[in-house]
Amino acid sequence: MAAMTKEETEALIQEVLEVYPENAKKDRAKHLAVNDQSLEKANKCITSNRKSLPGVMTIRGCAYAGSKGVVWGPIKDMIHISHGPVGCGQYSRAGRRNYYVGTTGVNTFGTMNFTSDFQEKDIVFGGDKKLAKLIDEIEVLFPLNKGISIQSECPIGLIGDDIEAVAKVKNKEHGKTIVPVRCEGFRGVSQSLGHHIANDAIRDWVLEKRDGDDSFPTTPYDVAVIGDYNIGGDAWASRTLLEEMGLRVVAQWSGDGTIAEIEKTPKVKLNLIHCYRSMNYIARHMEEKYSIPWIEYNFFGPTKIAESLRRIAAHFDETIIEGAERVIKKYEAEYDAVIAKYKPRLQGKRVMLYVGGLRPRHVIGAYEDLGMEVVGTGYEFGHNDDYDRTIKEMGNATLLYDDVTGYEFEEFVKKVQPDLIGSGIKEKYIFQKMGIPFRQMHSWDYSGPYHGYDGFAIFARDMDMTLNNPCWKQIKAPWKKDAASNEAVKAVA
Amino acid sequence: MPSVMLRKREDGKLLFYVAKKDLEETIESLEFDSPDKWGGEVVLGDGSKYFFDILDAPPKIPLHCKRNAYKGGCHGFIYSC
Amino acid sequence: MSQKVDNIQPSYPLFRTDEYKDNLANKRAEYEERHPQEQIDEVFQWTTTKEYQEINFNREALTVNPAKACQPLGAVLCALGFEKTLPYVHGSQGCVAYFRTYFNRHFKEPIACVSDSMTEDAAVFGGQKNMFAGLENAKALYKPDVIAVSTTCMAEVIGDDLNAFINNAKNEGHIEQDFPTPFAHTPSFVGSHTTGWDNMFEGIMRYNTLNFMADKEVGSNGKINFVPGFETYLGNFRVINRMMKEMGVDYTLLSDPTEVLDTPADGTFRMYAGGTSYADVKDAPNAITTILLQPWQLEKTKKFVDATWKQEVPKLNIPMGLEWTDALLMKVSELSGKPIPESLEKERGRLVDMMTDSHAWMHGKKFALYGDADFALGMTKFLLELGAEVTDVLVNHANKRWKKACEEVLAASPYGQNATVHIGKDLWHFRSLVFTNKPDFMMGNSYGKFIQRDTFYKGEEFEVPLIRVGFPIFDRHHLHRMTTLGYEGAIYLLTTLVNAVLEQLDKETKGMGTTDYNYYLIR
Repeated sequence: MAAMTKEETEALIQEVLEVYPENAKKDRAKHLAVNDQSLEKANKCITSNRKSLPGVMTIRGCAYAGSKGVVWGPIKDMIHISHGPVGCGQYSRAGRRNYYVGTTGVNTFGTMNFTSDFQEKDIVFGGDKKLAKLIDEIEVLFPLNKGISIQSECPIGLIGDDIEAVAKVKNKEHGKTIVPVRCEGFRGVSQSLGHHIANDAIRDWVLEKRDGDDSFPTTPYDVAVIGDYNIGGDAWASRTLLEEMGLRVVAQWSGDGTIAEIEKTPKVKLNLIHCYRSMNYIARHMEEKYSIPWIEYNFFGPTKIAESLRRIAAHFDETIIEGAERVIKKYEAEYDAVIAKYKPRLQGKRVMLYVGGLRPRHVIGAYEDLGMEVVGTGYEFGHNDDYDRTIKEMGNATLLYDDVTGYEFEEFVKKVQPDLIGSGIKEKYIFQKMGIPFRQMHSWDYSGPYHGYDGFAIFARDMDMTLNNPCWKQIKAPWKKDAASNEAVKAVA
Repeated sequence: MPSVMLRKREDGKLLFYVAKKDLEETIESLEFDSPDKWGGEVVLGDGSKYFFDILDAPPKIPLHCKRNAYKGGCHGFIYSC
Repeated sequence: MSQKVDNIQPSYPLFRTDEYKDNLANKRAEYEERHPQEQIDEVFQWTTTKEYQEINFNREALTVNPAKACQPLGAVLCALGFEKTLPYVHGSQGCVAYFRTYFNRHFKEPIACVSDSMTEDAAVFGGQKNMFAGLENAKALYKPDVIAVSTTCMAEVIGDDLNAFINNAKNEGHIEQDFPTPFAHTPSFVGSHTTGWDNMFEGIMRYNTLNFMADKEVGSNGKINFVPGFETYLGNFRVINRMMKEMGVDYTLLSDPTEVLDTPADGTFRMYAGGTSYADVKDAPNAITTILLQPWQLEKTKKFVDATWKQEVPKLNIPMGLEWTDALLMKVSELSGKPIPESLEKERGRLVDMMTDSHAWMHGKKFALYGDADFALGMTKFLLELGAEVTDVLVNHANKRWKKACEEVLAASPYGQNATVHIGKDLWHFRSLVFTNKPDFMMGNSYGKFIQRDTFYKGEEFEVPLIRVGFPIFDRHHLHRMTTLGYEGAIYLLTTLVNAVLEQLDKETKGMGTTDYNYYLIR
């Protein structure tokens, strides 16, 4: 299918909006746009980070998901209590593929679910006593934990519990970091506020623990990787590259992360931000308080990786600048071979994306390295500054959709007819049934890593295996294939 | 509008950032930017104008500027850095 | 590492290459401040002891790795089983994202469900406005015939009144007066996912029958109603359909999501497919009676059927294994006057034939199991019928009466004498039991895989394999299609069980020159 013109794309948006009731139509119109690279600022064309409309089947989650699921959950040597009723902790248990290594249940706790399993009496009489008691029980049963975070579920903020007071008392008693996090699911409009609240909780309860303690030997080459959740091992495939060029990755935030790494981060020379959306807050704070500069980088696909390595290296001396060039050179043959093998198989394929807060723009380069084109993209919980950063990455007249509804996404796909969709599990089976190859771009569809040069090879392999799997040819029964598609087959042959 | 955060971009330009508004803009001009006087009217890349309290010396950047008194006109509030 | 283009490796085995191993070892040594390995090992060993189990069982406030979920999850599944019905959850939107994801991962199917996205202002002023817009938008976009409303804990804590809100939405014209909107309050701080199913079911029945009982007469339509309860095996809906058809019994399966949870990949996405029709729902009070397939999880439904439909609900257990399937069929035969057909008798005979074939491998094998109340009871019963021993039965959400019932089933069999029944306990308790009671196998959902890994970490000889039966199953494909009810279900379960036993034997005896004599061809 040929690329759509600006007018065609605009007409498509109007057509899709048609079915909405008047108020909803007005609201949704602001979240759908045709990309225009000449715009300096996204807020001229698209609105984001607003409340989802009731009843439209938003794909978004909540603040708890942003805090427990994204930011805190991966810190592996702490215990994260899902404080409230049983569901939230259960649904988010071991669901996000933040890889880590450790002895789970003894010194790491990443795939476990600790909950206060609220009952009616806890709602009526408050849950502070239960919380205090369960912290004591954790200390007995899991003595090697390095700290506890209390992840508030909806009822906590509604019944007026004082989890901060409990945290302070228990912190004194046990001498361990205990962090209350006010990430009740009704706060904010999406996961995004949960990220912010989680960042603030780290700032207020953890980050300054080692101010004035210089026992950790530092070097001029210390960096922290921030906003990499080690999905399928992404952060590992990143740290090896950074260390190969001569840097020391002192901390991973927060995939395979530890509280010690978090506490040491104020000692680093540069913060490297991968997921800007979820962790820019803490980077800005460290810049102000500890004068640590930060930069955004992108480790998807060789073009962006090389750009990023050079940009990172520019903050250091000659040895690192040379190191970056050495690393790029070293992997050149590898990624050239990957591109040589897969580009002919993927060239010209059109992709629609709908992911969280970073990947809707960050993975575009990787697709382009393989000769593919991203023709539609959108964020579940992006803000204006994310769309600002997206406009230049996307082609003119392509579709932008913010907080897309199930209905809109289905209609857009029917019209745009992409060759591949990259989105989440709630969307996956809808589009697979429609016969469209699909990759989960939150969890890497149980594959990965996709970061770094090693990850790019896997990314290319996965896109090819899904796009070119024979199963997609079987969607129509042979006796149902109509004349038109038979002719199309002939034309191709 | 709550606090504004100022930081230097890699190319040396000042960035004006307001978390609550997702506003991240370059500062195109600052009324006073000399060793003995800093602040005054700020014009951002998008054309909007703000007003910083005037200081005797440039502050250390990055920093937070807090909203202070209401000035009115196109500036709205005065920010103290 | 450099990837070889002809052999591109994902995380495993990629991260087992020296470069990554060294890098991660360095991360551990330099930055993580990990406890010394000896200390980790010492604590691990301690967590496997009887002493630890005692402390573990003294827990009062903390839940670790629960074996249950919350009410609205069940409400959503229940609503999916009715024709062109859109599940609608009044409350925070994150909950719905979780429910959909949880079912997506288990069924590998799309799940349609909306939320009315209540946020902070709704926490202060109540969620009525959200309900107004939510019903209007959902109906316009997704064109359901019915919207089934349940609640998250947020709406429950602030005390939103569904009945009033929905009526107000209709009075103000957001949806038509006659648009069907059954509803149920499903607070997640009461009961579990199975309670939520029960509540939503009762809500749908109440909405469709309570005010229309005048012309209803028990037995007048000659049908038998079946209520599945929180059921995730597609085969279990299908086997009830098949058995009743073979018996020639007119019946209604109330809540049947087998079509919508099993749509074909043929180029079309179907948001709605199949499901119990509302004509059948409205006719349900005219049935001879209503059979609850998971009676322990359908207490509210039973009360409603008793009190409103005035039907006498037969005392039956979940039809798992041989005898309880016999009991179901005999009861259906008695109620309908239709004999049990030869085809089912033959199917029974085939099951018994399999039991005779496999008994020597099942006899005395020890099992510990966990799951929902009715499943755990039925599984226990079938294991005892096979001559297998049960060491522990654990149900997180069950009550004391259930415990007593389960204990009676165990006491009635020589193979249940050493069993203990645990209620209100979680999978961290279960882990202790697996270490100290050392069953040969455990049975339950995918979460048990972490316990299996823990037992293996203690030493190969301590490993207790997990047999995956229950919900959710995330780490194996297509098992949700199987059947666990009826003779057919018992055939699947026995096949699974005996082959797990044989696999394990092969695993234990594959040592060349040591145990090779027992690594035999014919079994």
